[in-house]
Amino acid sequence: MRKMKGKKLLALLLAVLMMATVFVFAGCQSNQKEDTQDEQQQTEETADVQEDAAADTSLDDVMAKGELILGLDDSFPPMGFRNDENEIVGFDIDLAKAVADKLGVTLAVQPISWDAKEMELNSGNIDMIWNGMSYNEERDEAMNLSEPYLNNDMVFVVANGSEIADLEGLKGKTVAVQNGSTAQDILEASDLAADITVVGFKDNMTALLDMEAQGCDAVFMDKVVANYTISANGKDYQVLEEGLSPEVYVIGFRKGDQALRDAVQQALHELKEDGTVAEISTKWFGSDVTIIE
Amino acid sequence: METLFSTIDAAYMSKLLVILLQGVLTSLRIFAITLVIAVPLGFLVSFAKKSKYKIISVPINIYILIMRGTPLLLQILIVYFGPYYVFNLSYNRFAAIIIAFVLNYAAYFAEIFRGGIESMPVGQYEAAGALGFTKAQTFFRIILPQVVKRILPASANEVITLVKDTALAQTIGVAELFALSSKQASFKTSVIPLFVAGIFYFVLNWAVTAAFAYFEKKLDYYK
Amino acid sequence: MAVLSVSNIKKAFGSNVVLTDISFDVEEGEVVAIIGPSGSGKSTILRCINQLETIDGGQITLLDDNMIAGTSPDGKPIYSSPQVLRKMRLNIGLVFQNFNLFPHFSVMRNVTEAPIHVLKMPKEQAVEEAKDLLAKMGLSDKHDAYPYQLSGGQQQRVSIARALALHPEVLFFDEPTSALDPELTGEILKVIRGLAREKHTMVIVTHEMAFARDVADRVIFMDQGVIVEQGDPRQVINHPREERTKLFLKRYSEDSQD
Repeated sequence: MRKMKGKKLLALLLAVLMMATVFVFAGCQSNQKEDTQDEQQQTEETADVQEDAAADTSLDDVMAKGELILGLDDSFPPMGFRNDENEIVGFDIDLAKAVADKLGVTLAVQPISWDAKEMELNSGNIDMIWNGMSYNEERDEAMNLSEPYLNNDMVFVVANGSEIADLEGLKGKTVAVQNGSTAQDILEASDLAADITVVGFKDNMTALLDMEAQGCDAVFMDKVVANYTISANGKDYQVLEEGLSPEVYVIGFRKGDQALRDAVQQALHELKEDGTVAEISTKWFGSDVTIIE
Repeated sequence: METLFSTIDAAYMSKLLVILLQGVLTSLRIFAITLVIAVPLGFLVSFAKKSKYKIISVPINIYILIMRGTPLLLQILIVYFGPYYVFNLSYNRFAAIIIAFVLNYAAYFAEIFRGGIESMPVGQYEAAGALGFTKAQTFFRIILPQVVKRILPASANEVITLVKDTALAQTIGVAELFALSSKQASFKTSVIPLFVAGIFYFVLNWAVTAAFAYFEKKLDYYK
Repeated sequence: MAVLSVSNIKKAFGSNVVLTDISFDVEEGEVVAIIGPSGSGKSTILRCINQLETIDGGQITLLDDNMIAGTSPDGKPIYSSPQVLRKMRLNIGLVFQNFNLFPHFSVMRNVTEAPIHVLKMPKEQAVEEAKDLLAKMGLSDKHDAYPYQLSGGQQQRVSIARALALHPEVLFFDEPTSALDPELTGEILKVIRGLAREKHTMVIVTHEMAFARDVADRVIFMDQGVIVEQGDPRQVINHPREERTKLFLKRYSEDSQD
């Protein structure tokens, strides 16, 4: 799935540009001394974020406003997407609604640009990222992550009737991935990398269309998305049985928001116990495929 | 190519049109509000840029330089997320889009206006002055009407670009036309929603082009 | 009685001195022609009187109004109040070398715009007067035309009508035929002759020596920012006293023969 490479850099760039803009509007009084001060200020702000853990009001805040805001890129079926009524639906949305009910608050969904998800989270515009987000170490460092709730395999999708039947058959072929996704990372780090050509697209949809137009031979993507695309849209694709390393989906919270993260985790646990999770999973995947404990 | 159309039927098409029309409304709101604020602001900026006071003209020059020298996409991110990093303040997405678009387009319009005003022959000012017109009369009666004619083609370019630039609002989660169409494209794994969005943009800009052609014709009575 | 009195005018653009100590008077009903080589400062003097340029020293008096109210401690002239300057400006009509008509206005509106919005004249009156002026200029059939539809000569006649519409005390012409094709200069000179017969006070900067000699009551010859000699047109042009005038006229007649 998609990942956060370069986001810290962008955040830093933003901060620097903001400072520059503030200088400009303050009448261009920039000098060496002020530059140093601003750097200090920035360091302090970073420290502030970390200190929040000491006074964690995250759960109380959510309870007080009576609303839990879920941020998502609403183009990721079946986890979170817009249906033909323009409503945002999906497995993650149903699960999050059940969690919100459990907490006694309403769920609000806020579409965001996936590239800006870290900034959306840190600036408090959303309370969590819950959108089929794959676990990786960078995300674990940047956010406070939940326990994994779903397994996700990365699979190769080929056109029906393709001569490619296994990983061996991919050698010398062209494989498409979504740019900035964990799929791209995994593929490029794999043993296959030396023998295939990897092309990146803005999303899985474009990658699949490229395969239809015979621009590439296979698409490497999340299994849940691939299965949904084939079954719901009747696409004439095939999923290779052999895949690469498996992944898990997690929910991302702000670094300091331990109380909220724990409350959501506890709610998930209870929903698993009372069978709600199984019900939701069956609705979207045909059986309970979750790994919530 | 048949597969491209396999999941799209008439019932879905009508639903798609309803969804995309909602997107059109959002895009048009961004477009109209931006235009209504950015055009007059652009005029003010073009005057401020020519100010003889450095305290005004220098910041304005830097402002124009930044607005034209950096991607609008980045400006949108800065306008929306910047206040949080500086003042710990977050606010409405739509307002952020309007602010970012207005700041950006005012800078471009200002340069168009300045070009138009500076292209006016000095003889027009001298003739007006010799006839006793005040500075305000000279500007509004003699200069401005001629400037408007001169800047129409360049402004048309800018306005057409604005229609298409509204697609950038999706960067901070505003559900405009292009955002909604790509969501539907992902939902159906089909490019049809994108094509339909393309048709909407085309029609909108056709209307913009026709409007400018009409104004140009109206001002075509002199050379 | 002198309508216009110019005394000791100094003007420099940076270190480039254009006018050194220029003085002359213009009597009521008098036609004065200013001649001289390019760069002699003859157009600049008109522009100074018309406030299109500022002066660095001296005084300009039109009827009872002084352009300069005093001198600042550093020797710079202090201009009179905006009201006085405006009144002086309105008492002078200026006809430009390049006409400078307003291209977005019809001929009629070019002539009536200033009377209506500057003099606050009722529109009907302004239109009536404009009709008379345009008739006098031979442009009765061009009321609704736009400047781009007219020949250079016609445009210049419109600009003369436009200047006259404000009833100025003095009418200035800044090389009124220089931008015209030779065959069109005649119609402008004819119009100016007509105005001279009506005893309009006029100052004409021109290259047309024969015309200056015929129409002017007095000719001023300028060179390098000073008035070299002035007097009766036939005397200055046919029998110049000063060497510089002789040289200029000799060169001029040689050029004309080319």
